[in-house]
Amino acid sequence: MLVEMSEVTRRFGGTVAVDGLTLALPEGEVVGLLGTNGAGKSTTLKLLAGLLYPDAGEVRLDGAPPRRARGAIAFLPERGQMYEWLDVKGAAGLFGTLYPDFRPERFHELLGQLEVPRRSLAQMSKGQRARFLLAATLARKARLYLLDEPLGGVDLITRDRILAALVSEWREDATYVLSTHEVAEAEGIFDRAVFMKEGRVVLSASAEELRERGQSVAQAFREVLA
Amino acid sequence: MWHIEPEKGPIYAQIAAEVKRMLARGELRPGEKLPSARALAEEARVNPNTVVHAYAELEREGITETRRGLGTFVREDVDVEAIRRRELEAAARGYLRAVQALGLGPDAAAKVLSEVSVDAG
Repeated sequence: MLVEMSEVTRRFGGTVAVDGLTLALPEGEVVGLLGTNGAGKSTTLKLLAGLLYPDAGEVRLDGAPPRRARGAIAFLPERGQMYEWLDVKGAAGLFGTLYPDFRPERFHELLGQLEVPRRSLAQMSKGQRARFLLAATLARKARLYLLDEPLGGVDLITRDRILAALVSEWREDATYVLSTHEVAEAEGIFDRAVFMKEGRVVLSASAEELRERGQSVAQAFREVLA
Repeated sequence: MWHIEPEKGPIYAQIAAEVKRMLARGELRPGEKLPSARALAEEARVNPNTVVHAYAELEREGITETRRGLGTFVREDVDVEAIRRRELEAAARGYLRAVQALGLGPDAAAKVLSEVSVDAG
């Protein structure tokens, strides 16, 4: 899915979270949305998901506003909330009803791959819940995946499993935008790195081109955002 | 295997170089199949596009070939000796740089190398 944001501004009260942001992402890329806390990454992802409206500027997915593409967008919020009573079977039923593109068999495979125990969310650890929600998100056959900190707040082994799952789920007809603080660990899966600072894009570059110029994405992060 | 170091240049080039090292060490032989781009990508935690790029580079260099519907294979006619020789030269240049950093020259390098080789049996 073709993603375009032009001159997008979004305020919360007196705070400008996203400030005249312009960004174009070609179809089929894995995009790392990178920046320090408060750079506007989560707001950007919510604007793309159609969960927030811009105060100014335009968001276009394949040329149309996000709300018209909602059925094709899979969004993983940073702190995903889910019904405590929900278990694997209940979730498969719920997501299947909510999203026609939900693939229950893929959900079960992903739960296995991510080693999520078959119990209710109430009985899961923080890391298990994060993987459960990620499995549910990736089990959809969406055209745009928006993942807010999919590697956040979980241990190294879990992060590694999540990265492997992301690679195994990758499809070239889908676009993936994920925010993360784990730049060094995740940079191998990015086609593109988008660096954000104070609500704006300061650099959008091919990850391999950065490395060709002798700089890893993590090194560019330090240089651009320090 | 497939240990990627992003600060050491493009990942596609690192994957292509590792395939050549595997050939030089005999871990991979002419005619053998390489893992699918997806499988390698998953193992190395890298973007599948990057592996496709690495395989294209290896094909351009005449090391691998793509068989339609079957995958990527090391070519039967690949010159393993030439690849091994280049690996050896690269290792030698690395050793020589370390020796020169110590203020010594090729003669000292060769002498110590042969002494160490004797010690190593």
